[in-house]
Amino acid sequence: MTTLTESPTTTTADPVLSVHDVRIRSQVDDREIVKGVSFELTPGKVVGIVGESGSGKTLTCRAVLGILPPHFEVSAGAIHVAGEDITALTPARLTAMRGSTISAVFQDPASYLNPSIQVGAQIAEVIRVKKGLKRRAARQRAIELLTAVHLRDPELVYGQYTYELSGGMLQRVLIAAAIAADPQVLIADEATTALDVTVQAEILDLLADLRDNAGLALVVVSHDLAVVAQLCDEVLVMREGEVVEQGPTDRVLYQPEHEYTRLLISEHEQYGLEKFLSREGR
Amino acid sequence: MPRRVLSLVSGRISVAILLAIALLAVFGPLLAPQDPLATSPDTLAGPSGGHWLGTDYLGRDVFSRLLDGSRISVVGSLEVALMALVVGAIPGILSVYLGRAFEWFTLRLADTLVALPFLLFAVAVTALLGNGITQAMFVTGALVSPLFYRVARSATLAVARSQYVEAALISGASLGWVVRRHVWVKVLPPIAVALAQTIGVGFVIVSSLTFLGIGVQPPAPTWGGLLASDLGYLSYQPWAPFAPALLIMATVWACNLLADAIRDVSGEAGRALANTRRAAANQKANQTAAGGRA
Amino acid sequence: MTVLEVTDLDVHYGLRRQRRQALSGASLTVGPGEVVGLIGETGSGKSTLARAVLGLVRPTAGRIVIDGEDVTGYRSRQWRTLRRRGVIQYVFQDPLRSLDPDVTIADSLMEPLLLQGVPREEATAKARTYLARVRLDEELLARLPGELSGGQRQRVAVARALITEPKLVILDEPVSALDAANRVQVLEILKDLRDTGIALVFISHDLGSVAGIADRIAVLYQGELVEVGSARDIVAAPQHPYTRLLISSAPTLRTASAGRAEREALRALLNA
Repeated sequence: MTTLTESPTTTTADPVLSVHDVRIRSQVDDREIVKGVSFELTPGKVVGIVGESGSGKTLTCRAVLGILPPHFEVSAGAIHVAGEDITALTPARLTAMRGSTISAVFQDPASYLNPSIQVGAQIAEVIRVKKGLKRRAARQRAIELLTAVHLRDPELVYGQYTYELSGGMLQRVLIAAAIAADPQVLIADEATTALDVTVQAEILDLLADLRDNAGLALVVVSHDLAVVAQLCDEVLVMREGEVVEQGPTDRVLYQPEHEYTRLLISEHEQYGLEKFLSREGR
Repeated sequence: MPRRVLSLVSGRISVAILLAIALLAVFGPLLAPQDPLATSPDTLAGPSGGHWLGTDYLGRDVFSRLLDGSRISVVGSLEVALMALVVGAIPGILSVYLGRAFEWFTLRLADTLVALPFLLFAVAVTALLGNGITQAMFVTGALVSPLFYRVARSATLAVARSQYVEAALISGASLGWVVRRHVWVKVLPPIAVALAQTIGVGFVIVSSLTFLGIGVQPPAPTWGGLLASDLGYLSYQPWAPFAPALLIMATVWACNLLADAIRDVSGEAGRALANTRRAAANQKANQTAAGGRA
Repeated sequence: MTVLEVTDLDVHYGLRRQRRQALSGASLTVGPGEVVGLIGETGSGKSTLARAVLGLVRPTAGRIVIDGEDVTGYRSRQWRTLRRRGVIQYVFQDPLRSLDPDVTIADSLMEPLLLQGVPREEATAKARTYLARVRLDEELLARLPGELSGGQRQRVAVARALITEPKLVILDEPVSALDAANRVQVLEILKDLRDTGIALVFISHDLGSVAGIADRIAVLYQGELVEVGSARDIVAAPQHPYTRLLISSAPTLRTASAGRAEREALRALLNA
């Protein structure tokens, strides 16, 4: 375990997100749910967290965003976002930071949008609040963002409501809202889980575009090792609150050390497409 | 469920009050020290050793009348609740299953009942069917039944769309089987909340109907009736409405408290409550542990 | 003899102007002991096909033959009799919702048997046997679904589907709600079933998740079965552009997302 906490400090750029030995405790039963997570993220890099539901991956993301659910607390460790320790920030500063420095999209896009307001107006609202733009300018910017997330006919989508859009389109709208205030870090927590595979591939492509074009640093969280493998430079495998394996994606995929990682890989090889396709690259 | 209700302070208080009221309803008429109908020349007397709560305008002992009237008041409001349960909750469950015609008809009927002005309906039924306690209960039961209909229907709808009901159907279950095995248990908690609330409302209704002279006929005493007669002599005995009003208030309050307690221990709210308590307990334990070390 | 034979099935939803075709001309046969993967995206008609076979939606045209019995146009009473025989069973995606939270595991397991009129004692004994077959301890019988883990619940759901000794079990994404260890375990249990002659139909949106277990794969796209073939053929030499898109989209352990240009070309082809 101790070797895992030493992050590879070969990168020269300052990390936009640094999580150091974060532990999260549940006040309900006084149990440690997350037992020490550490990683660093520099601009344009992608970190992946793989784990089951209940492995603590979502709680870790929520701690980074400062939105832990009731009765949970960060009991030890430090989280630095763009150099600032977020555990020391006031709620007002945290709110200001969310969206403009660090942002997130989650699994069920429909539940994060108001069904009775046009989706474009909801993006424009984020821009007006976070960037202080006037109504007209905010609308213009929202349409630009909808174009940036590869939505066909952004003008039309701007005036539509959640029920008129598919799950994949809604996730794109949410990504547009998440990047509206030009954050440096985007957390995608199971953002493609509820989507069809073909749409999932599109969203993953979009995330890769944002990384390449805008230099966005990404945290991709998924229960599926393969989803994370598509995109990430570094992978953390979590199980029951512990990071059981951490390292560069290639190393984790081709020389897994922990038996749980091996299980994840062998499942794909036995029951997945890999049974028929040879694994390329090595 | 009952155990969880009793674990709440509000649950314990409400159950204690309701038990006391129930005892009053059972034994009240036997406990009455004097004949509640016996008049005396000693009218509108203040509280004394002979008449603990004084006498009314016909010189009848108010304390005895209160005790004697409890049974009919309580039974009356219970009848209202039961009536509402039978004509409201059962059609509510069935409206989901018995096809579109039944669904449409019962929905419109419930809408109509909601739209009827209560007093007008009560007076009309009394005029048609005659005055009496049964008619009054029928009126009130019918008028509160839409609440039960709606509550039961929405709970059933939620269950009817669930996968375990579909799983049962795929295994060849019939309507009766589904309702008996799966629906009934889920519909019960929301109905219990509505029931507790309705007993409270029923009490007010029975009392106010008696106040208007519909339902229970004088000289038979009820709490509402006592309140009504006391109000006529307010200038002589300004304190007189206090005792019957207190009894009515306590019962209604206890019923509402019980309804709250049931709601708090069932479903999502119940879990949140349990978590908050456990977190608080842990916090406390940690503090004492830290204090012990210090 | 086939277990399931679906011929030219059409299903429509809605009335008059809102009428929408969910399935058009679908034909599929499933033989005894065969494992078929039914793949399609949301709204492709894969659930509609399953629901039609279970008698939960009424087809507008076509024929459904289950275990030699033509069930096309069956009325609800006839369906109930057929279902009670337990020839077809269904396993839902989410075991938390497919088991009644207020009913013990024993009662949930026994329900199909009790509906058949099997005496309670006999049903209990059988529930024990089948719980053991899905590698669960019999002390779970008295528990409620909420006290079991997700993997245990799904195995209970599988046991419940098997308890009537069906000839065909339809499984809707049976492992996608489970964690890795349980996924593998449930898949192993299902693989063992094949040898007992029970036919399985896996429904999924992800070709990758069933490719390894299915003998044959049927791909549904916009209400039509666009491609049916052996799993190896479909994966190695997909014909229809949608099948090719599915394979290129399925996340695999290859690190480079090489298929991106291919995916965009296929999408353009499908939208044309």
